[in-house]
Amino acid sequence: MKSETVINVRKSKVENISALPTVPGNLKRISAIIEKPRVTLDEIGRFVASDPALASKVLKMVNSAMYGFPGRITAVSYAVMLLGLNVVKGLLLGISVFEIMEKTMRGLWAHSVGCAVAARCIAEKKGIKDPEEFSIAGLLHDLGKVILMLEYQNEYEKAMEIAANDKIPIFKAEVEIFSNGHAEVAMWLMEKWRFPRNLVEVIAYHHRPSLSKIAPLETAIIHVADIIVRARGAGFAGDYFVPELNTQALDLLSLSDADIKDILLRIDDATDAIYDSAD
Amino acid sequence: MAKKIQLADLESGMVIVKPVTMKNGMVILGEGVTLTPAWVERLQDMDIDGVYIDAPKEQQLTKEEAIVKLNARFEPVADRPYMNRLKKILADHIEDLYEK
Repeated sequence: MKSETVINVRKSKVENISALPTVPGNLKRISAIIEKPRVTLDEIGRFVASDPALASKVLKMVNSAMYGFPGRITAVSYAVMLLGLNVVKGLLLGISVFEIMEKTMRGLWAHSVGCAVAARCIAEKKGIKDPEEFSIAGLLHDLGKVILMLEYQNEYEKAMEIAANDKIPIFKAEVEIFSNGHAEVAMWLMEKWRFPRNLVEVIAYHHRPSLSKIAPLETAIIHVADIIVRARGAGFAGDYFVPELNTQALDLLSLSDADIKDILLRIDDATDAIYDSAD
Repeated sequence: MAKKIQLADLESGMVIVKPVTMKNGMVILGEGVTLTPAWVERLQDMDIDGVYIDAPKEQQLTKEEAIVKLNARFEPVADRPYMNRLKKILADHIEDLYEK
């Protein structure tokens, strides 16, 4: 069922995130810092350290199930140095979108956290160095939905209705209403925030992993992680049905049944912890 | 399964399954430690979030409800062999959760 007028989602409007009235202040502040062309780890470290509340959130996240350092990191400067620029940028984004994610789509945070740990777990199993980058990709892969909900709430809710009624995944319903879907919107932002090309591709093509030219394995990881989390039913990402796995992506990862069970346990641990936590 | 306990509910004999950390991230107790009465008292005075112990996790859904929901979310892809394999693994996982 095609709508008469498709909403034209303008890239320039999305990129100019600081001008969007619906975007919360802390996200705008983080955005301004991380989009700077030659921002150094040092600058970011100082920015974080200057805000005790932010520093505490960074450390809490670094020491959580999403990353491989449970309880071992106590200094922001060390965290920043250990994790590297991409992961720190991603972590700051994760912190600044957490509240707004829950406000715009309840359950999206849990879904994103589930995807973060699942992706990291798969990356570890594949022996990839820097598995933390996959935590970031998993955490942020649905950021586009937040932006679309902030800017076009009524229309996005319509897309969710279509997804529910037609029993299709949300990314398919989106294109009935919007010129560009959540994956593309997130891609524009990841580019603006100067993430490396492979991370940009991973997020841009997580629903269509065969489109990734330079990062097919990494994209396959996020694609499969996303579907495993949905299969588990952890959180809510805008639709109620598990999308089909891209078989090439699955084959590329060659995960055993035992691997997948392991991933499920990690997802449960991480998502249960969300509801346990007071904040 | 790891279950989060509030400080007030800590009892000696409980086994820690995740490192106990202060809110700033510093580790106080490693995993595998069995709490003594002295530790319970000490922890209750500290600024920590909660402690994870080994206990069967209470599920919010019954096993039957969980399976019904699982089948419902897989319905549009029920005829694909790859998806059936995934669904079977999920069903096994759910069975395991309720075994304890």
